[in-house]
Amino acid sequence: MSSDVRFTDFKSDKQPTWCPGCGDFGTMNGMMKALANTGNDPDNTFVVAGIGCSGKIGTYMHSYALHGVHGRALPVGTGVKMARPDVEVMVAGGDGDGYSIGAGHFVHAVRRNVDMTYVVMDNRIYGLTKGQASPTSRSDFETSTTPEGPKQPPVNPLALALASGASFIAQSFSSDAMRHAEIVEKAIEHDGFGFVNVFSPCVTFNDVDTYDYFRDSLVDLQEDEDHDPTDYEAAKEVILDSEKEYQGVMYQDENSVPYHEKHGVTEDMSEIPDGAPEDAMDLVREFY
Amino acid sequence: MAEDLNWAIGGEAGDGIDSTGKIFAQALSRAGRHVFTSKDFASRIRGGYTAYKIRTSVEQVQSVVDRLDILVALTQRTIDENLDELHEGSAIIYDGERSWDAEIPDEMTAVDVPLKSLAEEAGGAIMRNIVALGAACTITGFDVEYLDEALEKRFGGKGSKIVENNKEAARAGQEYVEENYDLSHLGYNVETTDNDYVLLNGNEAIGMGALAAGCRFYAGYPITPATSIMEYLTGRIEDYGGHVVQAEDELSAINMALGGARAGARAMTATSGAGIDLMTETFGLVATSETPLVIADVQRSGPSTGMPTKQEQGDLNMALYGGHGEVPRFVVAPTSITECFWKTVEAFNLAEKYQTPVFLVSDLAMSVTEQTFPPEAFDMSEVEIDRGKLVDEDEVDEWLDAQGHFRAHAVTEDGVSPRAIPGTTDAAHMSTGLEHDELGRRTEEEDERVQQVDKRNRKVETAREQEDWDYREFGDPDADNLVISWGSNEGALVEALEYLEADGIDVRVISVPYIFPRPDLTEEIEAADETIVVECNANGQFADVIEHDVLTRVKRINKYTGVRFKADELADDITDKLSEEVPA
Repeated sequence: MSSDVRFTDFKSDKQPTWCPGCGDFGTMNGMMKALANTGNDPDNTFVVAGIGCSGKIGTYMHSYALHGVHGRALPVGTGVKMARPDVEVMVAGGDGDGYSIGAGHFVHAVRRNVDMTYVVMDNRIYGLTKGQASPTSRSDFETSTTPEGPKQPPVNPLALALASGASFIAQSFSSDAMRHAEIVEKAIEHDGFGFVNVFSPCVTFNDVDTYDYFRDSLVDLQEDEDHDPTDYEAAKEVILDSEKEYQGVMYQDENSVPYHEKHGVTEDMSEIPDGAPEDAMDLVREFY
Repeated sequence: MAEDLNWAIGGEAGDGIDSTGKIFAQALSRAGRHVFTSKDFASRIRGGYTAYKIRTSVEQVQSVVDRLDILVALTQRTIDENLDELHEGSAIIYDGERSWDAEIPDEMTAVDVPLKSLAEEAGGAIMRNIVALGAACTITGFDVEYLDEALEKRFGGKGSKIVENNKEAARAGQEYVEENYDLSHLGYNVETTDNDYVLLNGNEAIGMGALAAGCRFYAGYPITPATSIMEYLTGRIEDYGGHVVQAEDELSAINMALGGARAGARAMTATSGAGIDLMTETFGLVATSETPLVIADVQRSGPSTGMPTKQEQGDLNMALYGGHGEVPRFVVAPTSITECFWKTVEAFNLAEKYQTPVFLVSDLAMSVTEQTFPPEAFDMSEVEIDRGKLVDEDEVDEWLDAQGHFRAHAVTEDGVSPRAIPGTTDAAHMSTGLEHDELGRRTEEEDERVQQVDKRNRKVETAREQEDWDYREFGDPDADNLVISWGSNEGALVEALEYLEADGIDVRVISVPYIFPRPDLTEEIEAADETIVVECNANGQFADVIEHDVLTRVKRINKYTGVRFKADELADDITDKLSEEVPA
């Protein structure tokens, strides 16, 4: 790991095809800064990307990366981390990828507390398919497939994480570049599953959850000096607050022990002998 | 044919049938006898008929037959279910003190043993099955002392008192029959030898093969009959620095395994039934991202939930064609329990050499059958590991483009690209399920698309040329009658040859372990007067493939009752089939 890594080292030379003004630009920049600030370099970093606009991130960043099947980014990240505890794993996807098709994996990745970072670019809309309701769309949000709104409450991803036993829950806003990078950095440094829901506005298909909306309404927990992220009850309060939306680290379990430590998974599994293990005939003798 | 003995214990699920059967199988194995076991069971923990059957001989046995010599019946249904297999020389051990009135055909020998009472005297009713094993020892002339070692293995962890009680229970059964019955007219006499055998099933062989091959990461979701691979690895893989994770579903399991493989581990997953349907979603990604992955499908009866605890070879088409688009792959189907081991080792090598998904297609019959082998059948010094084009830091340079990007999907002559894993300096790259260029970046350029499709397909062609895709052959190589099989039918077919030979019918058996790529059987089929393809499914999926390969029609023997082929039954089927007209 070199000490002179700059965040631009995590940038590929491929120009993003996101719409001009897309929140994903800011989200990605913050991720790259956070990775560089935490002493990682592209050769020891693995980014797993989901499907959707957000999933393109694997192409625009420079690192080891896999852009996989819709909704299954977290399982891939889990496998990478288990095989290689020495590698920094960052999983990125959208609200559809994480809270709809991949919701089941989200719950279980949170429970496992695998030591990786999960950044969800939440724009409350399906952008790549040109504007359908997402699991975080408001119940009255009109789209091509929900002309009168979905008529169902949006998923509260933070509450879902909390209910699943999360050890780190945070939220950020792509446009508040410094805070966003700081929060992702904390998620990377957290010993366990660092979950950050990022408000990453879609300027093309979502005219409700806009930059202006978040700028005007978002409450920063850092300015609220009373908020102690290690206080579970306090975290519960802000996460379940139906009146306001927050940015900052809502919850962090200081005693979090990541999966691989609990299970004694410490070795680099890529290294194996040239033949069967030396004592392998013992495996056969077990069957006497 | 060596003299074989067919023994079974049957009762309700939850009666300890399986563990009792296993103890007897182990005792026979310790006595230097070969054993081949089979199970009739229901997908329930309690209730429903279940049986554990053992065929044993001093010579290798590799099939069940339609004959049962000694039956321990804990329920009337056990007797009823097996009436076809019982004969006038059969002995049926039952407990006359229990509430049911045993109805045993007059021509058979009823051996009424107070299993429960004797077990209680020895220390607890729970040992009644062990009393029955003791009783079986007397009937078969098998020294009860051989049971001791098996009892120690089974109950050793529970303390010496339990072990001693069980030994006493076995002796109580043995003595009771000795004192109350003269069964010498049945003529059973179990010989022993000094040979040492190991006793294991197909799933254990797959798990052991995985460990031998350096598999360090396994992700799976429990499903009958694949779970025991996961159970085998759990608690053992850790000794080699590996780990097993129980995923939330099969969608996750295959993606976790894929992640492990991309990180550089030899990784696998295994499933069955609907689990392979879910995994199908990711087949294409494994192939286009060129990730080495071993996916085991322990087939069970389908479709849908089908008969989850019954045998079928119904997933051949799924393994060959599953997944949207065109997915290059290898499909390997072990034909015996030892081959479950060796083909697993081979699957890992194929996966890494060609950076391609490898389907290891086994089946329920093989997964639950325990069979004896000399330990040398799993000679670990023969295990070879080939990691293919895994590059180290010194080799990275030659695979960089002018801008210094690592060409993870470089278009090469043999189709195989260099593979770099995280931590390899200057080789960071992405891979994707999208069509991509040499660098792994999305493309829809026509030329690049064609180049990448061709290179992936070329890997299969390279493998076709470089690897051995041969079949296994038994019987008379010059026979006019050719029988072709895939997967686990091999043992029954090999034994069927002996019945056929006795009837003067010469048969050449070709047992195919490679489904794709597979051996070209044109010459073999053209040389034969008659060709029959044998498989455990209704539609003849392998027969279809063979007909397509050779452009001819073949006869088919299909069994889809949920029960594997039996040697004697198969011999009859072949005889009947030979006299039929060839289909038009």
